[in-house]
Amino acid sequence: MPVETADVPNGSTNAAPVPGNSQGRHSALTLFSPIRKQWTPVLRVAMWFGKWTPVAQDHILQFNFIHFVRWAVVRKFPYNGPPQERDVLNYPYLFFESNFDGPWRQYIDAFAYCIPGDIRFVWGRGIAFPGPPPAEPLKRWIAENSMEGGTFYSAYPEASTRAILSALAVRDGFRRLVADADGLEADAFKARYEQFLTEVQVHL
Amino acid sequence: MGESRNRFGTAYALTVFTAILPGQTEEVRSIIEGVPRGEAGPFARLEQAHFTRLQIFDKLVYQGAPQKPDRLKSAYLVFTASFDGALDSFLDAVCERMPAEADSWWSHCVGYPGTTDRAAFRRYINHNKVHTSLFGIAYPTASVADVRESLALRERVLDFAVTAQGLDAPELQARFMQTFVETR
Repeated sequence: MPVETADVPNGSTNAAPVPGNSQGRHSALTLFSPIRKQWTPVLRVAMWFGKWTPVAQDHILQFNFIHFVRWAVVRKFPYNGPPQERDVLNYPYLFFESNFDGPWRQYIDAFAYCIPGDIRFVWGRGIAFPGPPPAEPLKRWIAENSMEGGTFYSAYPEASTRAILSALAVRDGFRRLVADADGLEADAFKARYEQFLTEVQVHL
Repeated sequence: MGESRNRFGTAYALTVFTAILPGQTEEVRSIIEGVPRGEAGPFARLEQAHFTRLQIFDKLVYQGAPQKPDRLKSAYLVFTASFDGALDSFLDAVCERMPAEADSWWSHCVGYPGTTDRAAFRRYINHNKVHTSLFGIAYPTASVADVRESLALRERVLDFAVTAQGLDAPELQARFMQTFVETR
């Protein structure tokens, strides 16, 4: 039975969070949108550089509310034989999934105004994509293209990205402190402990 | 090269599309939307899993003219997971720790062999996975255990720092060793 293409919904940007998209303070956003065929090789090369270039990774994760993010170019769906009917797509599609802190709408302004070039580069060669800024058309587009429902799991749903990065920094400093503390006299230990607190106080 | 793009740091990004058997989409929807959430759910038994999501793609959003609409002939169960370590280890953990739940949704998909035959399960997932083009992680070398233990340690360090204020050097050292070193 063919499954109909969905109509574009009336893109409210204020809809309540859907349970399948959130757990604790974490949310998942999944987009699946068509790409112009001629743009696909460029996008693939750009993403290859993105993986292997530390500067690009830092750029992708410059917003400290993102935990994990992935993109995948999908040309066709995996086929398993009958009774599956083979789907032939008119376009390659860009699968995007991000796991982040809080509802996505509050962060779209940051994307729209801080990295509009990146956003336009990745999605701007799609069809009918509203290149930011301003942010509102982008919010509507994301609301319309968000694949909803299902179930979502996070292993540490109450921990923000910032809290995790801070905790890892404290752990690293703590390990150095413990390693250095072995054999120290009390006064020297106190000095080293106070140095540790100074190093990690921003993370506590 | 495709496989390496699924990895970043010590983590792996798995993206799987499996076609749902004709007429069974709503049953699968009911199953996955009824999966217990959080610690009560099956994914909490996978100690290496940071994030997972299960959802159904049965309609593709039409972007308007000049797009030619894409109409799906099958609905797809889409599974994504971000986890520590190797794919085979993760799939073995699925077979060991949540076989009934995995079978409950994938048994409605075309060609699913079940979790009893692990090798067949691995082949099925590998056949239906889509390679990641780009994967980014805020803490790429931290395992789930690292994250949880670090969050707990940070709380302990903070508590200690508050209670140890004003201690002289010998007492501070003794309290620190007692709290953090001798109890490890």
